[in-house]
Amino acid sequence: MPAAVERPVERLDGLPAMGASFARALVPSRKGEARVPSHAVRVEGVRQDLDRLAEYSRVCGYTLRNAVPATWIHVLTFPLHVSLLGDRRSSVRLVGAVHASNSMTMHRAVATAEALDLEVHAEGLRPHARGAMLDLVGTASVDGETVWEGVSTYLVAGMRVPGEPAPVEREPFDPQPPLALWRLAPDLGRRYRRVSQDPNPIHTNRVAAKAFGFARPIIHGMWTHAHALAALEGRHGESYSAHVAFVKPVLLPSTVGFRATAHAEGLDAAVTTRDGSKPHLLMSVRRAS
Amino acid sequence: MHHKVVVVGGNRIPFAKAGGPYAQASNHDMLTAALDGLVARTGLSGSRVGEVAGGAVLKHPNDFNLTREAVLSSALSPLTPACDLQQACATGLETTMYIANKIALGQLDSGIAAGVDSASDAPITVSDPLRRILLEASRARSAKQRIAAFAKIRPSHLAPLAPRVAEPRTGLSMGEHQALTTTRWGITREAQDELAAASHHRLAEAWDRGFFDDLVTPYLRVAKDALLRPDTSVERLAALKPAFGGPDGTMTAGNSTALSDGAAATLLATEEWAAEHHLTPWARIVDAEVAAVDHPAGEDLLLAPVGATGRLLARQGLTVDDIDLFEIHEAFASTVLATLEAWQDEDYCRDLGLDGAIGTLDRARLNVAGSSLAVGHPFAATGARIVPTLAKLLHERGPGSRGLISVCAAGGQGVVAILEAV
Repeated sequence: MPAAVERPVERLDGLPAMGASFARALVPSRKGEARVPSHAVRVEGVRQDLDRLAEYSRVCGYTLRNAVPATWIHVLTFPLHVSLLGDRRSSVRLVGAVHASNSMTMHRAVATAEALDLEVHAEGLRPHARGAMLDLVGTASVDGETVWEGVSTYLVAGMRVPGEPAPVEREPFDPQPPLALWRLAPDLGRRYRRVSQDPNPIHTNRVAAKAFGFARPIIHGMWTHAHALAALEGRHGESYSAHVAFVKPVLLPSTVGFRATAHAEGLDAAVTTRDGSKPHLLMSVRRAS
Repeated sequence: MHHKVVVVGGNRIPFAKAGGPYAQASNHDMLTAALDGLVARTGLSGSRVGEVAGGAVLKHPNDFNLTREAVLSSALSPLTPACDLQQACATGLETTMYIANKIALGQLDSGIAAGVDSASDAPITVSDPLRRILLEASRARSAKQRIAAFAKIRPSHLAPLAPRVAEPRTGLSMGEHQALTTTRWGITREAQDELAAASHHRLAEAWDRGFFDDLVTPYLRVAKDALLRPDTSVERLAALKPAFGGPDGTMTAGNSTALSDGAAATLLATEEWAAEHHLTPWARIVDAEVAAVDHPAGEDLLLAPVGATGRLLARQGLTVDDIDLFEIHEAFASTVLATLEAWQDEDYCRDLGLDGAIGTLDRARLNVAGSSLAVGHPFAATGARIVPTLAKLLHERGPGSRGLISVCAAGGQGVVAILEAV
């Protein structure tokens, strides 16, 4: 974690409705220099909607527990991602930005009854061979105690950031037959949209998906992440870190492979093509100290 | 029994009214929550337990391996085997005896007995004629045969079916059956309301003194049994309208159990295993007995435990006076009251093949921490709620204290068990 930076905080009365801010976020990034807001957006006292959590759990494959999954808190912070990049001071837009990797830490079990203070800011704008990369850093806290942290790394193709791109490190992948098959239904994008409230049409609409270069709609990367984490629930303890690399999108409908291995340091998992030869998502889960 | 079987812990989620706070939770969700709470409390995370036996009365066809799937979602080692059992409202007591018997025989050194039910997430099925047509269509070898099968569908086939809480052989609901028993045994409205009020007051006292702190784990914003009404009274209960037995009936929503959601689990082990895991044995499982009555021939549907109680006490050489605490499941207040009447009825007991009346119970020793009227009654969970509750109550009273559990069940059946503090 980089040293804490004092940054202005813009407090919102509640989580922004996705309509207006998403409409702004939908306007594609202009080519040019990437700029992101320097302030953080914060909303306090967010109560968790149990009906939505239950539906989220059903769609992702989680057991509905008193302790909520890390990916659920990511979903709660998502409107703040949209709001931050929908800001006039941002030349980067969320649509067209590709979610490249994601890291989260649950510092302790978060109960369904707890109201959360959520905050998101952008940092680490850096050059990439294909454009610019940046991190959206989120925290969830209860009475000043940080209970969850998340870093979503996005790649914005075609935008410039001064400097030389750092060499890209490829996550190691070893082709192996999958241990499980996931059969993803054509309406999965629609079902996940309802619980994640991420209205990006590339997940639900064939024409929109084509416009972004995909033959069919693709499932949200955070669904794939959630479903992989759900497959390991009960194995990772109450406090854990989960890191994923989104290697290649999963088209809908399709059948993909899944495998997981436990070792001394934690759990490693992969969502792969059906034959296990190529990765869609690579995940590692570690016990948080 | 060869090995001494001890109850070393228990955990449940607070019980709640159907359609209430757990309306979105499935049997799988609630059973996993009950297991994980037990695992956390007993330090068994990642451990292989000998076996887990669980069950649900209202069960979806996809949940054929409900308990095993819950184990896989829980923090227990995935190498922990599990099976599903079902004995209607006595499921949680039957799973306890299944695990206890295996431990007693030396087949296991530890095991978890559990039960869960959701009346909110009940399975809805298609009508029997429609199901047969769909099966015929799936067997069809040509489009013509398939069309012929589908052509048989009538609008009346399309209505979905919710599970009915009626006895298949009599068509009477459990409440309607119990209303007949209530009248037959002359159980008054006042006595039923008194028993119901006592159940709420005793459950409230038990919560207030922290008795459930190591027996219950909060779930979905519910920290305490949601049906509990600490301030209810005989007067308030007297104002309720009859729910069963017609306009002159004495059974109301207040002195009958509500449809409920919840899950419970209890950890059983040998004394050696308990010592190795630094767990304090509360009570040992002494013995158990099942019984049935001929309810299609008119016998009282929910009084089967009476015969089981008489035979069990006789086998153990015990009388009612040798038992310190009684847990009689409150399906309805009048079920408990009719059971107590039957226990002291010489002729009734002799007709059951017993040597004479079972005896008269001092009500101060009955359901001392409340029972199903106040806690709620998620069918299969009730037995797994009562076992650790009674074991802990006996442990508080000291070694040698004995307790008897009596649970009635659909189909004119009942399960009775004796526990003794160690």
